[in-house]
Amino acid sequence: MFGMWDAMITPEGFPLPIPHLVVTEWAIILVLAVFAYSASRRMELVPTGLQNVLEWLVTFTYDFFTSLIENEDAAKKWAPLLSTFFMFIIISNYSGLIPGAAHVSGFQPPTSNWNVTCTLALITAFTVQLAGFQTHGIHYLGHFISPNPVMLPLNLLEEITHPLSLTVRLFGNIFGEEMVYAFMLAMVPFLIPTALMALSLLLGGIQAIVFTLLSANYIAASTGHGH
Amino acid sequence: MEMGLALGAAIAVSFAGLGGGVGMGQAGGKAVEAIARQPEAGGDIRTLVFITFAFIETLTIYGLVIAFMLVNKIQ
Repeated sequence: MFGMWDAMITPEGFPLPIPHLVVTEWAIILVLAVFAYSASRRMELVPTGLQNVLEWLVTFTYDFFTSLIENEDAAKKWAPLLSTFFMFIIISNYSGLIPGAAHVSGFQPPTSNWNVTCTLALITAFTVQLAGFQTHGIHYLGHFISPNPVMLPLNLLEEITHPLSLTVRLFGNIFGEEMVYAFMLAMVPFLIPTALMALSLLLGGIQAIVFTLLSANYIAASTGHGH
Repeated sequence: MEMGLALGAAIAVSFAGLGGGVGMGQAGGKAVEAIARQPEAGGDIRTLVFITFAFIETLTIYGLVIAFMLVNKIQ
């Protein structure tokens, strides 16, 4: 199996072991930050270059989420979070395809680990509750007993299974794809795995879209008009 | 013992894949039919079918995760 925690950077006198995973995440955050900063540093009315890309991205994701979330204020408030999710997940999914990345010992795409996807899913879960309370106030609690107080345990269970399924879906897809790729590489070292890499290019993009889409859906459900 | 674990992993992933494949095929086929009949509704249908696929896929992935857990136990 892939080394989960055996790849650690332990400088002398620094007791906290840092997994490679976290370093990869820092690198992704740095890439995103540098991109955002350099694109919005000198903004002009008629955008050129990077600013064009960023403006397209912002308007596209904003339109997408406003069409999905019927509550306009909630959509405006949570669209930045969701588009950041999308960018972070797609870059970390594709980070396994960087040429030479596999030669770094202990390298793995951050989304192919339980802990990372669970964190992302928990952020979504708390955001959903927060958005619900911000929109409906104390009446939000009414949705837990919505058709009938008998449904309370089932409604609570639903709130738990949402982040669980988000976690497992992203982790299982990326980890499974990496495992299949590793097996394939061990069996046929040349040429054939390239087709699989093309497939994983598609798969990584779809998983990033699905994660954000479902998060937006859950937010839409908690901020919309209840039943 | 090891053979049982390996067989269990294989059965878990194959049945999960079988069910998920049948379901996804039906949903995808119907979606294509719908888009062909009414191309102007394509955007909505595409979003909806993505969500449906995600839900179906989750069940398949549950089987895959069980298979990974079993394979992990073999060594």
